[in-house]
Amino acid sequence: MKLDRRIIFMIVALAVVVPLLFPLGLPVAVTDETRAVYERLERLEQGSVVMLSFDHEASSLPEVRPLAEAILNHCFRRNIRVVGLALFAEGAAVGYDILHDLAARHDKQYGHDYAYLGYRPQYTAAILGMGESIREVFPTDYDDTPYDDIPLLREIRNYGDIGLVVSVADGSLPTYWVEYAQARYGQEIIAALTAVMVTAYAPYVDAGQISGVLGGLKGAAEYEILLGRHAAGKRGMDAQSLAHLSIAVMIVIGNVVAFGLRRKNETTEAGGHSS
Amino acid sequence: MSDIGIWITALATLAIYSFLYRDNPFYKAAEYLLIGLTVGYSLVISVKTVLWPGLVLPLLGGDTAKIIPLVLGGLMFIRLVPKLGGWSRIPLAVYVGAGAGVSIPAMLKARVLQQMGATMSNVTTISGVIMLVGVITTILYFYFSREQKGLLQPVAKIGTYYMMIFFGATFGYTVMSRVSLLIGRMEFLLGDWLRLIAR
Repeated sequence: MKLDRRIIFMIVALAVVVPLLFPLGLPVAVTDETRAVYERLERLEQGSVVMLSFDHEASSLPEVRPLAEAILNHCFRRNIRVVGLALFAEGAAVGYDILHDLAARHDKQYGHDYAYLGYRPQYTAAILGMGESIREVFPTDYDDTPYDDIPLLREIRNYGDIGLVVSVADGSLPTYWVEYAQARYGQEIIAALTAVMVTAYAPYVDAGQISGVLGGLKGAAEYEILLGRHAAGKRGMDAQSLAHLSIAVMIVIGNVVAFGLRRKNETTEAGGHSS
Repeated sequence: MSDIGIWITALATLAIYSFLYRDNPFYKAAEYLLIGLTVGYSLVISVKTVLWPGLVLPLLGGDTAKIIPLVLGGLMFIRLVPKLGGWSRIPLAVYVGAGAGVSIPAMLKARVLQQMGATMSNVTTISGVIMLVGVITTILYFYFSREQKGLLQPVAKIGTYYMMIFFGATFGYTVMSRVSLLIGRMEFLLGDWLRLIAR
């Protein structure tokens, strides 16, 4: 038995499109992992500095943008200052847009409440270098303004002046933050990840090397609930749930049919042998 | 995003998704556009943020120490001349040596020692014991110096169950991740482009 796979694509597409057009308002439960990240940011003092690293490619934007926005909303709402940077080339422009967009919504002033350092290649060298001097790694910001001409950056020498590093990532970058910033300089790390990466970082959270993980669109939706906002993460959860349900149902049906066919073939073969 | 930008993005998205029906010229065009843009963007940003401020400007300013990375970088390209290709091994040796020197101690500490410490120090809880059993049985599954017979066989079998749970969880998260990407594109098409839903 053969099913045209385009039928499966159509079912998944419908499961996504219909709840986007007609929201169901399905409940979203907040997990302990997300709550831990939220509470860690709550414990930061006002005026402390969070370093937000856009360690992802443009292709994962639908997942990482809600995550970055949720973290930035929380930071700006609590008057926590933000220093943005990118260790992936594609993340550089994306991070620039997201940071300026969110800062504008919260009436934050560039250079005082936030700054954007831009991109550096060779993430190992960049992460290690910032442990000694961020100015050495980023002599200017993304717009070529000298480091020392930016009031916020003048106060920051190295990780000692950073309260928390948040790596918004779609790959293995948080591992490098752990190896070179956490293990070597004791810098606290939080990872905001695409869902596909979550299981890979569970051991690091368990070992206390990463203080918390925020995973995928679901993680962003949970964070938005804690913030009392309704944004991209929460909006997509109906579609996410229905798509998962449709995939699970198709897997069950596929297995039942395959099992039935196998039994039928075995019965036919047994009948053939006995005759 | 401007209206023209939204239309270009929407048409590129539809061109990529058209592959789900069958391969076609629109998909190919969008694919090549993506590859070209990615390479061009990476090149420009590397020149703008690295080569120009980190190498060219210091050299023009009289920083002679930058001649060393310039020469090493140049030697990397010399492999394009087959007769002189051997010279490219010098910068490669520097790169591999420095990379190994920096990464081996860091990886050993973060990925092995700290992980082992966390595994062993947590055995007073049920989850800690489950974790410890998982680590030991999975490692024993990959012990290839002895045939998996006798006691080793059931122990390694337990390791495979742990791995299957991991694979299942990872697959579930992968599905979730891919569906999230689809949702993002559909929100763009229905919201920014067709304006059927609020953004």
